[in-house]
Amino acid sequence: MSFIVSVQAESIKVKRSLAFWLSILGAGFIPVIFLLMYYFRSDVFVLKLAKDPWRNHILHGWQALSAFLLPMFIILTCSLVTQIEFKNNTWKQVYSSPQTIADIFFSKLFVIHCMILFCFLLFNIFLLGSGLLTNFLNRKYSFFSSPVDWEILLRMNFKSYISILGISAIQYWLSLRLKNFIASIGIGLALLITALIIMDWEQIYKVPYAFPLLTFDAIFKKRHLLIENHEWNSILYFLAFTLLAFFDTKFRKERG
Amino acid sequence: MNQPVIQTSNLNFSFNGSGKTLDGVSLSVPQGSIYGFLGPNGAGKTTTLRLLLGLLRLQEGSIEVFGKNFLQHRIDILKRIGSLIEQPSLYAHLTARENLEIYRLIYKCHKQRINEVLHIVGLENTGKKKAKQFSLGMKQRLSIAIALLNEPELLILDEPTNGLDPNGIIEARELIKKLNKEHNTTVLVSSHILNEMERMATHVGIIHKGKMLFQGTLNELQQMKSGKASLEIETSDNLKSVQLLQQKFGAQQQDGKIILPFRDKAQSAVVNKLLVENDIDVYALHPQRNDLEQLFVDITSYS
Repeated sequence: MSFIVSVQAESIKVKRSLAFWLSILGAGFIPVIFLLMYYFRSDVFVLKLAKDPWRNHILHGWQALSAFLLPMFIILTCSLVTQIEFKNNTWKQVYSSPQTIADIFFSKLFVIHCMILFCFLLFNIFLLGSGLLTNFLNRKYSFFSSPVDWEILLRMNFKSYISILGISAIQYWLSLRLKNFIASIGIGLALLITALIIMDWEQIYKVPYAFPLLTFDAIFKKRHLLIENHEWNSILYFLAFTLLAFFDTKFRKERG
Repeated sequence: MNQPVIQTSNLNFSFNGSGKTLDGVSLSVPQGSIYGFLGPNGAGKTTTLRLLLGLLRLQEGSIEVFGKNFLQHRIDILKRIGSLIEQPSLYAHLTARENLEIYRLIYKCHKQRINEVLHIVGLENTGKKKAKQFSLGMKQRLSIAIALLNEPELLILDEPTNGLDPNGIIEARELIKKLNKEHNTTVLVSSHILNEMERMATHVGIIHKGKMLFQGTLNELQQMKSGKASLEIETSDNLKSVQLLQQKFGAQQQDGKIILPFRDKAQSAVVNKLLVENDIDVYALHPQRNDLEQLFVDITSYS
């Protein structure tokens, strides 16, 4: 029960916060760009999307998201949510309120994941919406007449979410540890760019910041494992770093 | 007064091993008191209060609040405390009501309580204004409102009047007194301004360089404060000196020295001359201010 109360309290804090606007902006960015592309370069895209328009549209959308924007969004969200406390000097009030350290720690992590799922949900809605709007503006497209490829949409969402679990725990820990959000974002960004540079390395399935792109790659290449190797790793990273971050918080000498 | 609400024994604390920030602090806050925790900036007030709220990990000593060990009953104890440590802790992007709602949920108070505390601190009409648009005084009042949400039995306030204008200071003081009187709330309030404490505290603790120099009622403090500084003299013939100085200066012999109430520098010169003229060698002659008095100068000079 006390956990639910802590989650409720946490969710008030993200209301109208930068993290909240970022999920909307992050979710809307690619669909809007696609809409503009489809509208102004219909000469190219009507042909490209003639066959399986939804499948292609969805895959292209996730492709644009997976490599960079999605991990970047996770990095920013973790930092922005914890920054709400650092920036406002409120950690001390949080820790001197009657909540267990576990409730404080896990309710914040829970809210971060709610924001991530909220962004996923919005991204899907905007992605489908941009397809429909494209067809509404230009009748030469065939979105209206083709069935939505729900299977690929669900697979992308489910597996991409698993792929970001590892990053989310590492970034949450960094964001709790480092008061200066430039530091946690900077480290995250450096690790992400490193992962993208060493993408061809045979051990890349062990590098968490590469996982979203690996997941996209697996779906794009029509591999059909329910959970890929790197996705198992993502879950393991998530568990390991969540525990590490929790005990680090619990046994910290100084709070708030 | 029965059992103290807060009882710490022998708190020692140091940040990263760099000197002692707290050195054997034993605080005893009686139930129903307004305990003024006084000391110059950097004396260890905030460190003590942060230890009391569990914001710093206890290194040495023990803390009992409401007669219970803090570490073992952290949640139960925190439920009965309201606190305000250093600057206001508010979510700048939220309204006054939203800020209160966060803690209303945590303290499980009824919804009406938000109106009550807003009324107490006079912030009922801030509407959709966000906390970041508040003046410092309003922020401070909203922070006090948060501290009052759970109708605490114990209020811990760290420099609550910092940054308030003279009116705000008076209002805050009256509020503290009112809570204490009407709800029997025990208040532990820190400050570096002696005057301010004298106007509201029933009990006083004075901390300096991490050590408690004084702890007692306000009356005891005032008695002590009136105790004057003294002049200490060492001579070749103490007996004769005392006879010479007794009448005019009220001198007494104590531990092989002569002690007399210190008035000013000119007095030292007169005394010295008198002794020398009577063929007594003066080995040492120095005014002794007691620590507490010097501390009062430190404390009051900030105000």
